[in-house]
Amino acid sequence: MVSLERTQAPRFRYLVALIPMVSGLLGVLIANIPVSILGGLVPAPLFGLVPVYFWCLLRPDLMTPAVAFSIGFAEDILSGGPPGIWTLAFVLTYALLSRQRDSFAGLSGLAAVLGFAGAATFACAVAYFTVAGLNLLSGLRLPPLVPVVSELMMTVLFYIPTTLVVGWLHHKLVGAARSDV
Amino acid sequence: MANAWKIARRSNVQLPLILVVALAVVVVLLGKAQGTLFDRMRAHATDTMAPVLEKLRTPVAGFDRFLGSISEIFSVYEQNLKLKEENARLRQWRNAAVVLQGRVGHYQALLHAVPDPKMDAVLARVIGRANRPFLQTMILDAGRQNHAMPGQAVMDARGMIGRVYLAGQRTSWVILLSDLNSRIPVNVAPGNVPAIMTGDNSATPRLEMVSHTVTLHAGDQVTSSGAGGLLPAGLPVGTVVADGAGGWRVALLADPAASQDVEILNFSKPPEAPPASAQLPAEAAGLKPQTPPDPAAQAAAAQKQAQANAQPSAQTSAMAKPKPVQPPPGQTAPAEPAPSEVVDR
Repeated sequence: MVSLERTQAPRFRYLVALIPMVSGLLGVLIANIPVSILGGLVPAPLFGLVPVYFWCLLRPDLMTPAVAFSIGFAEDILSGGPPGIWTLAFVLTYALLSRQRDSFAGLSGLAAVLGFAGAATFACAVAYFTVAGLNLLSGLRLPPLVPVVSELMMTVLFYIPTTLVVGWLHHKLVGAARSDV
Repeated sequence: MANAWKIARRSNVQLPLILVVALAVVVVLLGKAQGTLFDRMRAHATDTMAPVLEKLRTPVAGFDRFLGSISEIFSVYEQNLKLKEENARLRQWRNAAVVLQGRVGHYQALLHAVPDPKMDAVLARVIGRANRPFLQTMILDAGRQNHAMPGQAVMDARGMIGRVYLAGQRTSWVILLSDLNSRIPVNVAPGNVPAIMTGDNSATPRLEMVSHTVTLHAGDQVTSSGAGGLLPAGLPVGTVVADGAGGWRVALLADPAASQDVEILNFSKPPEAPPASAQLPAEAAGLKPQTPPDPAAQAAAAQKQAQANAQPSAQTSAMAKPKPVQPPPGQTAPAEPAPSEVVDR
């Protein structure tokens, strides 16, 4: 893969460097298409979190904090919730992953899914407690926990199919080694 | 799989990470203080996506209906019997409603009651629904160019669904009654008990601010109260149900998950123009409003007065006689009183 990457034209490599961000934004877009398949019974998963998790561990040079910020901000704009909630959640999750990269990246099989579940739980907890804090400041009621837990479960449930797509993109286009971009 | 995870060289991202975290906190605070900035961005994004959403709507709605109908196949017979019975009961209620509507109209005519303000409605199609942890919303294909404005009530055939809270040029977002941020002043009938219906992301919003001296009953009707003037009064909302913990909730009449076409009610009370304070007593007495005196006419009158003072004559008595009062429009002038009556007054 490294040899393949070295043969890539510089312009193509710049495009390849955009793949993690574009994947994250595409995941956000798909998750927030306001079309309900199951009659609104369950919330859509956080597809945008999977590329952040995946490439933060494998290619932190491509999935930078600014990219995580952009994906979280897109989630905020399209999801319609209180502004900034998912931006903060994604960035803080990125911070957690970058500090515990060795622990997370060494996981395999079911443990890898559990590792992502831990990261997603952290992201949802940040979002929930931020909204709860803002509601308390405004004198409003605490948000219900069930919808956040439902979203977390859906996100973890869809982790495996999403990570298959992201992994395919990584192996075919991005490459595992650090590039010079 | 562990081998597949080739750990990249640890990059020195600590400083930008701190900055980005600080920026994210700023975004949260900015969103709290200046939410309209983000609303504008959302409206623009939805306007851009509207054609795609309209194309996606039809196949997904068909699939949704198919999924929903799977569970109902086995209960079609029972549902049919129940619907026939309900239909017969509703026909009786319809007759009663027609009679009562006529009687109310008669009473209003007798009392010269102020009629309810007329409402325009915009028919819109639901092109999207979003069920997010902190927001339950639907997106309509009518926006500002169709005169849909934030705050307007949205109804389906059965009852109120929610309010428009964000209007783009071609699309608008509706905050559902069940949403966490929804608060609607309502009346509970019978008794016209005022209350606030607050959403909590469940299917049945809570009834709050109910007076402790009032006893509600399951099945009582909930309608919008119109308090505050933001929503029209009398919109059907739902029925009261007990929540099992001593509180009350509202089973909504509308079904946001199944609604396809909805109405956006353009309710705006016309501003009441206050009468000019100088004219008020005269108009209250049924008189014509007095026009302000012309300075030139005043000068001429003063000149005439001076001449009259200089030449006292029989004209004095004639000038002292008061002018007859102008009748209000539509009334005949009263007969001119006799001189003796004038003196008595």
